[in-house]
Amino acid sequence: MAVKVGKPAPDFETKAYINGDIKTVKLADYKGQWVMLYFYPGDFTFV
Amino acid sequence: MTAVAAKYDEIKALGAEILAISIDSPFTHKVWQEGELSKMIPGGLPYPMLSDTGGRVGELYDVYDEANGVNLRGRFLIDPDGILQAMEVLAPAVGRNVAEMIRQLRACRFVRDTGEATPAGWEPGKKSLQPGAELVGKVCDIWSPDMAF
Repeated sequence: MAVKVGKPAPDFETKAYINGDIKTVKLADYKGQWVMLYFYPGDFTFV
Repeated sequence: MTAVAAKYDEIKALGAEILAISIDSPFTHKVWQEGELSKMIPGGLPYPMLSDTGGRVGELYDVYDEANGVNLRGRFLIDPDGILQAMEVLAPAVGRNVAEMIRQLRACRFVRDTGEATPAGWEPGKKSLQPGAELVGKVCDIWSPDMAF
């Protein structure tokens, strides 16, 4: 499925580190608010 | 990602949550937070750090770089209905412009709330455009490129 502006953002479920805890989060959990989803290459990189 | 954290209060006030995601495990996120990030941002990054082991989510968003086994620097703005409204993908060595991302969030919110359109370089308080037949061929009467800066 291609990612396209104007189309639903693909949902996913994954583990997350949040305030000292490890939890499972889904994109759909954030319906009702705006989401800025930021991919980055990796921890301990320089930029 | 610390630059985003520095503007987190402003982003939250605009009704948005940040989700950072990389191929690292939650344990690596923890070590990075405690060992380095907390020295740049008191308390570390205030938003969730998601783990995309194997790049499965990156593949969904077409930012997974298989050759290097990492996700590219992609940013996706998703509205409260789950619809993608903006995206940007940068080469790994090029950092983002957080102010521009906040500007886009403000513009997307404005468009959603008013049904109007925001010309190039729009900021709150600047002229917006009311789309419709009457505006066709008339943008030149009410807007000029110098208004973009």
